[in-house]
Amino acid sequence: MKTEDTLKDVMATVLGIVADSINEDTSMDTVEAWDSIKHMNLVLAIEEEFGISIPDEDAANITSYPLIRLVLNEQLKGK
Amino acid sequence: MSETDDLIALLTAPGTTLSRTISAVNALEKLTEPQRRVRIGVSSNVSVDLLSVFLRKYALLSGATADVCMGNHDDPLTDVDQFTQADVEQMVFLPFFDNLLPAFELQLELLEPEIVAAKEANLRARYRLVFEKARKMRQIYACSFHRYTPAVDTGVVNPVSRALDRFNEMLRSEAAAFPNVRIIDTGAIVHQLGAEAAFDPRFYLRNTAPFATPFINELARRIVAAARGFNSYFYKALVLDCDNTLWGGLIGEDLIEGIKLDPHSYPGRVYWQAQQAILALERQGVLLCLCSKNNPADVDEVLDKHPGTVLRREHIAARQVNWTDKVSNLQAIARELNIGLDSLVFIDDSDFECNAVRGALPMVRVLQVPKTLSDYPRLLSEICELFLAGGISAESRSKTAQYRQRQEAVDAIAQHETNEQYLASLDLRVQIARDNAANLARISELTLKSNQFNLTTLRQSPAEILQRIDSDSGTVYSLVVSDRFGNAGLTGVVLVSWQGETAKIDAFLISCRVIGRGVEFCVWPTLVEDSRRRGCHVMEAEYWPTEKNAQVADFYDRLGLPLVAEANGTRYYRAALDSFTPPLIDWIKVTQ
Repeated sequence: MKTEDTLKDVMATVLGIVADSINEDTSMDTVEAWDSIKHMNLVLAIEEEFGISIPDEDAANITSYPLIRLVLNEQLKGK
Repeated sequence: MSETDDLIALLTAPGTTLSRTISAVNALEKLTEPQRRVRIGVSSNVSVDLLSVFLRKYALLSGATADVCMGNHDDPLTDVDQFTQADVEQMVFLPFFDNLLPAFELQLELLEPEIVAAKEANLRARYRLVFEKARKMRQIYACSFHRYTPAVDTGVVNPVSRALDRFNEMLRSEAAAFPNVRIIDTGAIVHQLGAEAAFDPRFYLRNTAPFATPFINELARRIVAAARGFNSYFYKALVLDCDNTLWGGLIGEDLIEGIKLDPHSYPGRVYWQAQQAILALERQGVLLCLCSKNNPADVDEVLDKHPGTVLRREHIAARQVNWTDKVSNLQAIARELNIGLDSLVFIDDSDFECNAVRGALPMVRVLQVPKTLSDYPRLLSEICELFLAGGISAESRSKTAQYRQRQEAVDAIAQHETNEQYLASLDLRVQIARDNAANLARISELTLKSNQFNLTTLRQSPAEILQRIDSDSGTVYSLVVSDRFGNAGLTGVVLVSWQGETAKIDAFLISCRVIGRGVEFCVWPTLVEDSRRRGCHVMEAEYWPTEKNAQVADFYDRLGLPLVAEANGTRYYRAALDSFTPPLIDWIKVTQ
């Protein structure tokens, strides 16, 4: 599966939303269930799924799908 | 494999990621018929949101579904109220030591001892209130305190360790007053995983969420083990193969000099240590049995004469050492001990035997001695957990002697002309106690594990029994049975509710160890007399069918209670006390 699709699946599972509904506008502001606790679970789930470690300074800031994808791709490149 | 099997395999596999765990739990809950649904509340002073996912996971792996409610932040008294209103029957109480005050472990280096002592006293009072308020809950899993920050080794005991010991002592002593509180040793989880894997400082600082997923997973696993998979199992006997399980090598070929079993060399010490662990289980009340393809004399020679043997003949409650297949032998062992096959844990080194038993007797828990011997100790810990994590009562300890007495009594029957003569020769005595709180744990245990002679199979936690004992509207009767062969212990329970003019028998159960001697009839004159004294005119009783209690379907008919209705196998009985005379059992001496 493509990285983006896996990422959408993980976000959908953790946030309890439909994967197909995730797009460039999906963010903490547009998804009601995406609170700070769910955000933490999301970071943990992404780290485990892709075998990466998201730096602490990024972890709090990646609050939208495009931002998560950006940081994820950077981390995967550095792996 | 079915979809359910696939999901279970995914959840049991090591390394399944968080996201896949969440999807598998969601999917499996949709596929599982909720035969057993448990409601669990979580009350903590830190954020442990993911505990919900992992409690649901281990519930599903035990065949139950769990609804988990998260409490407020550090507000256990309100949590208990809210949980009670939501019919939550079990609560996880998880106070995190370092967050009792902000960065408590760092502060401890600076705080005056009086302040720490005041904090301890304040928490003691608070926990007592919480446990008091929650005393009607079925079970509370109170997590002990553990260290979060690494300790600098200064060569002396530091204030954090000292405070941890004191606070844990405080928690344990408060919990000890409440039969429904079970301590979960969280320090053991940190020890097992290592602090690096157990904690995530990033989210502790940002979200007050200190635990990493491995810790939460293991905590949930231990809680469900302590609940015996939410009462999905209750193992009573460990059935052991001999060759390459209790010793290395084959006794039939290597002979007594050749088998590996001694404390001082490899691989003999692996088996010697295994025998130590197994004998320790016997001391805790687990019945040990042998199921081995060997000549009985060869096995006896090891148990009697081998210098390294820890297990002796007197530790074995039942044995099938012969050349018959193991499936038949396990069935014979269950029959001999009068327990269900689902009460057996079977351990063997052979793929063939393990698969044969798994295939034919899926209710038997089958465990295989690992091919890599250094993994054997881990399997033994797993076995200990299966038997002991649910708790043990003093009465349960060293049951083998009681079962052996029973076997001797069975042998004695042969020497008497009639069964009545035999029973009279036994010198049977039954002591009936009312509302004896000292035996609370044993009474509850008997209601949780008795299946066959159990009229309603009403499972009662220690807290529920205590409630009945404390209440005026009910009485808990317990029976202690003894005969000239020995004391069988507390082996019968009757739960009665006094409902105006009616004495209602909520539960009646007798341990299989003592049935067939009239014990099941001898309590009824006392019950009738007590009912009259309380002003009752009517006695009501019910039989609720299960897969295992068919043998008592007609018990109340035999007792002489009139059947008034029957629906879906449930049988309702009702008798006017004036016209009900229980059968007289003149060979049993009843005392109160």
